[in-house]
Amino acid sequence: MTATYPPLEPLRTTYRLRFLTDKQLDDLQSATLEIMEKTGVRFPSKKALTIFAEHGAQVDWDSQIVKLKADLVFKALASVPRFFLLGARNPSFDLQLAEGVTYFTTDGCGVETIDFDTRERRPSRKDDVGNMAKIADYLPSIGFIWPMVSAQDHGETAPLHEIDACWNNSVKHVQSETVMGEIPCRYAVEMATVIAGSREELRRRPPFSLVVCTIAPLVQDTAGIEGSLILAEAGLPVGFLAMPTLGTTAPATLAGAFAMGDAEIISAAVLMQLHAPGAPVFHSLMQAWADPRNGGYVSYSLDSRTRYAPVEMAHHWGMASLGACYGTDSHEAGTWQGAAEVALDPYMAGLACADIVTGMGLSETYTLLYPEQIIMDEDLYQRARYQLMNLEVNEETLALDTVHAVGPGGHYLGQRHTRNHIRESLVRGITHQIGADGKYRDPREVAIEKVNWIRKNHFPEPLEAKKQAEIRRILTAADKEICKG
Amino acid sequence: MISETPKLQPIVPEYHVRILEDEQLDKLQTATLEILEQVGVHCPSEKALHIYAEHGGWVDFTHQVVKLPRQVVMEAMSHAPRFYTMGARDPSFDLKLDGTAFYCATDGCGVETIDFITRQRRPSNKDDVARMAQVTDYLSAIGFYWPIVSAQDHPKTAPLHELDASFNNTVKHVQSETVMGEWTAHYAIEMADVIAGDERTRRQRPPLSLLVCSIAPLAQDRDGLESALLFAEADLPVGFMSMVNTGSTAPATIAGTLVTGDAEIISALVLIQMAHPGAPVFHSLMPGIMHPRTGDYQSSTFEGSLLYPLGAEMAHRWGVPTLAGVFGTDALVPGWQSAAEAESSLLLCAMVGAETGSGLGLVESCMLLYPEAVLLDADVYHRVRNEAAGLDTSPEALALEVIKEVGPRGHFLAHRHTRTNLRRRQFSDLTGQPRLGGGYRDPLEVAREKANWILENHHPQPLDEAQQEELTRILKAADRV
Repeated sequence: MTATYPPLEPLRTTYRLRFLTDKQLDDLQSATLEIMEKTGVRFPSKKALTIFAEHGAQVDWDSQIVKLKADLVFKALASVPRFFLLGARNPSFDLQLAEGVTYFTTDGCGVETIDFDTRERRPSRKDDVGNMAKIADYLPSIGFIWPMVSAQDHGETAPLHEIDACWNNSVKHVQSETVMGEIPCRYAVEMATVIAGSREELRRRPPFSLVVCTIAPLVQDTAGIEGSLILAEAGLPVGFLAMPTLGTTAPATLAGAFAMGDAEIISAAVLMQLHAPGAPVFHSLMQAWADPRNGGYVSYSLDSRTRYAPVEMAHHWGMASLGACYGTDSHEAGTWQGAAEVALDPYMAGLACADIVTGMGLSETYTLLYPEQIIMDEDLYQRARYQLMNLEVNEETLALDTVHAVGPGGHYLGQRHTRNHIRESLVRGITHQIGADGKYRDPREVAIEKVNWIRKNHFPEPLEAKKQAEIRRILTAADKEICKG
Repeated sequence: MISETPKLQPIVPEYHVRILEDEQLDKLQTATLEILEQVGVHCPSEKALHIYAEHGGWVDFTHQVVKLPRQVVMEAMSHAPRFYTMGARDPSFDLKLDGTAFYCATDGCGVETIDFITRQRRPSNKDDVARMAQVTDYLSAIGFYWPIVSAQDHPKTAPLHELDASFNNTVKHVQSETVMGEWTAHYAIEMADVIAGDERTRRQRPPLSLLVCSIAPLAQDRDGLESALLFAEADLPVGFMSMVNTGSTAPATIAGTLVTGDAEIISALVLIQMAHPGAPVFHSLMPGIMHPRTGDYQSSTFEGSLLYPLGAEMAHRWGVPTLAGVFGTDALVPGWQSAAEAESSLLLCAMVGAETGSGLGLVESCMLLYPEAVLLDADVYHRVRNEAAGLDTSPEALALEVIKEVGPRGHFLAHRHTRTNLRRRQFSDLTGQPRLGGGYRDPLEVAREKANWILENHHPQPLDEAQQEELTRILKAADRV
C-alpha cells in the first residue's frame, strides 16, 4: 500500500519577540565566558583533554578541568554554521534550518508505556519506538523523530535498536539522545551511511543527529563527549543539552542557571569545532526546578518565565537552538495539568524562532508514554501555528459587498461568500468533534481513536530491502561486540 | 472575623507584540467607517436616534437605521478618554487603566451551577453570585468582578440582586453585563452612589461599570443603549461588546467578521460620546466562529484564539481601552481542554497591551459554573503573568561567585544564595501537592478544597451597616415596582 503523507507544517511567523535585551544577552555571555575561564568545566575524557591542550586551552590533567579563554572560545565558535540541513530518508522531508521556521520533534527516552492495546503500564520496548515513529511519521507537526522511549528489550544496544525502529517506520530525520560512546556511535554512523547511500551523501544530507546531555554543574559525560566527536568527524549534527536544576545543580536564580548551563554547552561546542571545524553543532538548555519540599525535579514551575531565553542565547553565539516544549509533570494524559503547564510552549517557541524543538508526547516529566498524548500535544501545536500566521486583510476577506448585501439585522447563512469560506473558517481540532449524541466528544477519546486510525491506515514508505538487510547486519555485529564487551 | 484581601497581581508584560501592521489596521478601520457610512446600524431607541440626528448622523426614523459619516465618527471618538480609573470599594483595589497593566475579571452571566455542596447541576442563584464574589475577592488574579452567574431566584430584578451580592462580598470593582433598560440602570446607579459615598467619588473612582452587548449583525439593543446612556451621564464606564459569529451573523472570513463587529461597537461608542463627551468607554470585540455542523458559537477554536487579541489592537487604534476575551472555554468540564484553550490567547492579549479582560471561571462556552474552575483558571493566569514578566540579570541573579565557589561536580543545596532565592521561586499551589502515601494529588481536587477553604476562612471587609441597609432599601423599592 502506498503511503500518503500530509505535507509538513512547521511553525512559520513574521512576528518577533525578544525576551532579552542586547545588554542582558551580553551580560549572560560575559558570565558564561567568565565561568569557562575562571571556574572551568570538567571533561573526563583523555581524548577531549588532548584536543583542548593542543589548541591552547588550560588543561588540568589531574582534575580533568579545562579552562577556556574568551579569544579561544570565539575563535573556535567562528566556524559553527548558524544554519544547516537535517536530511531525511525521503528528500522531501529534509529540514533546511532557516530564519523564521521552527521544526518540532517528539519527546524521547521515556521508560514506561501505557500499552497500545491492553492500556496496562509496562516497561517500554523497541516495538513502542517503532509504533510511535509510525504515528509521528504521519503527523504534519512532526518534522523529525526522537525515539520516544527506550528499547529496554535490547539491553546495552538499545540506542541502536531505537534508531533502527525509527528508520523502519518513518521517512523523516532521526535524532537520538541515547547513542553514547565511541563504539555505539561508530555503529550509528555506519547505519546512517546506509540510509544516506554514501559517506559524501551522509555529510551533505545527514539523516541522523545526536543530542548529548551535560552533567550539571559544569561536567561533561565521557561517553557523550567521545561519541559526539565521532559524529562531528562524520559531519553529522550534534547538540549539547544542559538541564540545570535551580537550587540543586544550579544557582536558585534563573540567570545564574542559564549562564552555568550555557558554559557547559559552549565548552562542548568549542571542543567539536577544535576537532572538526565547521561541524554542525546546536545548543540546547532546559532549566528545571528543585521542589524545596522534597528535592523533586519540577519541569514546570508556576514561574516559568523566559523559558525560551536560551534560544536567544544560542542565537547570540551564532548557533542553532533546540528548544524545549512539553514534557508535563502530569502523571496522566489529557489532564488539566497536562495542558496548563505546556499550552504556551509551542507559541512561545515559535515567537522565539527556535530552529528545532522537542518534544511532544510524554507525561510524568518525560518518562511515561501514553500513545494519545502526542495527538493532544499536536492540537496545542496547531493552535500556535495558526496564531503565528498573518491575518489576511484584503477585499475578499473584508467582504464589504456581503456586509452591504446583508445589512443590519440579517444573517450570512445564504450568502455565496459564506459558502465559499465556511469550510476554512472553523479549523477543528480534537476539541470540536461532535459525537452521536450531538454533543462534543471528550478530546482524549478522539485522540485515542486517531492513534488507532493511524496505526491501522498509515504505512510509511518502507526502507529498501537491501538497506534493511544491511542495517540488520550492522545491528547483529553491534549486539555481538557491545553486549559481549 | 475580617480578612485582608490579598494584593492584586495584574499581568505587567515586559514584552510587547504587534499582530496587525499599521496598513492592516488602516484597512480594517477604513472598512468599519465604510460600513457605518454606507450600511448603517439598526438602533431601536428613539432617544438614541435623536442624539445621532442632533450630532450629524443620518437617521432613517422609519427603519431606525443610522448612518454615520466618517468625520462625525472621528469627531465623536476624539472625546473618548484613552486612560481612566475604575474604582473599587477599597481604594487600594482601584484599577488604573494606563496601558501598563492587564487586569482580569471573572466570566459572567452563567445560567447553571455545579452546587457547592451536593455537586449537582442546577439553575444558578443569587447565593452563587455572592459565594463566588467571596472566592474571587481572595484571588490576586482577579482584578474586578463580573457577577459570575445569573441570580435566577430574583427573576425580574436579577441584575440588581447580582450587584448587591457582589458589593457585599468583594472590595473590588464590579462590572455588570446585565443591567439593561433605564429603569434598572437608575437603581444600579443609586447603588453605585451608596458604594462610592458621594457623587464626586462616584465620578472620579467609579465602583461600577457596565458592559452592553450589541446584536449582530449591525444592530443595537434598545435597553442596552438606554442604560449605557444613563451610566455615561453618571461617569460610570460603559463598554460595548460585539459577539459576531463568523458565517452566521458575520461574513465567513476573519477580517469581515472583525469589521462587522467593530462597526457595531464604534456606532455605540459614538453615541455615548455625542451625548456625554469624554465619558469613559471601552471596546470589546469577542467574535466566535460558527460550527458548520451545529451553528454553535465557538469561542476557542484554532484560529479563534487570535480573534480576541486582534480586537484589543483594533480598540487601541480607535484610542480607547479594551475588554479582551480571555478564558471562556468551550469545554464541558474543567480539564485539559479548558487549559489548552486559554493560555496563549491570554498571553497574546497581555502582550498587545489589553487593559482589561474577562473571564475566568465558567465552562461550556460561558454558561456553567464549577466553583473550582476559577482557581484552575487563576493558576493558568499566574503562569502567563510570570511568563510575561522579564528576566532578572542582576549580579545577584547571575550568581557568578556562587557558581565559582561550587565549581564542577558540586551542588548548590547548602549555599546561602540557594536558601535565599529558592524561597522566591513560585510554585503552583494546585500541582505538585504531595499525596499521603506517595505521589501527587489531582489538581482539580486540590482546587475544590481550596475553594471550600476560602469560603470558610476568607471574610472580606463588609460594607458599612448603613450602606448595607441602603442597598437593601433600594432593592426593596426595585422589587416592589
